[in-house]
Amino acid sequence: MLDIRRVSTNRWWHKKKNWVLFIFLLFLFFVRISKGAVYKDFYYLISKPFWPGQFQREVLTKSVEQEILIKLKQIEQDNKRLREILSLQRLSDSESISASVISRKTGSWWRQIILNKGTSAGVDVGSFVVGPGGLLGRVNSTSLFTSSVKLLTSPDSKIGVWIERVQTHGLLVGSGNDYPKVIFYNKDVDIKVGDFVLTSPASTLLPPNIAVGIIQSIDEELQSKKTANIMLLGKPQAIDWVQIIKVEI
Amino acid sequence: MEKYIKTNLTLISFTFIPIFYLWDPNWLGFLGVQPYWPLFWLLPWSLIHGSINGLLVGLFLGLVLDSISLDYSFTQIPGLIICGIWFGKLSISANVFTAQFKYGFICCIGSFLCSSLYLSQILIKHMNENNILMYFPSIKNIFAQVFITGLLAPLICSLLFRLFNSSKERDKLINFKNN
Repeated sequence: MLDIRRVSTNRWWHKKKNWVLFIFLLFLFFVRISKGAVYKDFYYLISKPFWPGQFQREVLTKSVEQEILIKLKQIEQDNKRLREILSLQRLSDSESISASVISRKTGSWWRQIILNKGTSAGVDVGSFVVGPGGLLGRVNSTSLFTSSVKLLTSPDSKIGVWIERVQTHGLLVGSGNDYPKVIFYNKDVDIKVGDFVLTSPASTLLPPNIAVGIIQSIDEELQSKKTANIMLLGKPQAIDWVQIIKVEI
Repeated sequence: MEKYIKTNLTLISFTFIPIFYLWDPNWLGFLGVQPYWPLFWLLPWSLIHGSINGLLVGLFLGLVLDSISLDYSFTQIPGLIICGIWFGKLSISANVFTAQFKYGFICCIGSFLCSSLYLSQILIKHMNENNILMYFPSIKNIFAQVFITGLLAPLICSLLFRLFNSSKERDKLINFKNN
């Protein structure tokens, strides 16, 4: 009797090695599509035992005092303005979520922090993050258990700011180091070293009057612009606990 | 289990690179800048498996690291691909002392290349805004990263090189040349 059955074949799917490679590529594709959510959640789980404690006040007292001074001054100004204006954009504190920093990249080019609260805790993309001292950045992506915050120092970060003393708007741009710059599109603006920088009342991304920093130095005038270096009040390299606040504008 | 780990050592170590990248401890930094972790893995792996594999793994590494970075406008892929190809063309001396020095020197150049390509992307993106001069102070990042990467490279790369070399015969899972 003639045996017509094929003794062996050499198809690619018969090789275990090819399947492993295929699964590996599929994994890479999944990581890419999910924007690294798998890694962030895995990192959340393995870093859990090492999360920071709640006591770091000694380190941050100075920043907090500066923040309170700015807030007090600003509240006085707001009260005067509120008498004149009927409606004012307000910051709602009811939607704040406390979170701890589980990963931070505050040096080099990649300036971000990862927090231990994600979509499961109700964090949305676009929420802003404040720590002792003031504004740190905005939530740029979320996974189930984590949220990634783009810091104000990131080269890709741009927010509208407001110099309260001279009532002038500027654009705060991260430059990849610890001192972001404010660009004023008017070279005659009367800014001084020590002026407080707050979020702009005209911003559509952030609520107004959140403390950002203090003008540390003023650069030479460039064409029709003026730029200033800002010392941020919130120190992402030292902060372990932050508040995530949903934007209600 | 032990046999499985030994067989898949390269694959397992690859998946842990993003974890180190996220961890990025401050105490291991220089002037606030941490080493460029992917190069520590890419160098020994490309030295053993050659340029083509270096290119592909550089691409995969770049894709994964870009996914967990928030600066979606910029990419690490070009730097890692060039490093992967270049590392694959190199050979390491049998002399331990020379090899250690070479790991450090190669990682310094690789780190400089990757950081420079990243800075050039930032400059190109902001060229139209007439603000590019304000990004030059961050050149400090490049040199701090070059220094700390070169300092740690001999230690980490030689360890990984020995591990990859010992498991090379058993592990050909992601050796694309032999497929």
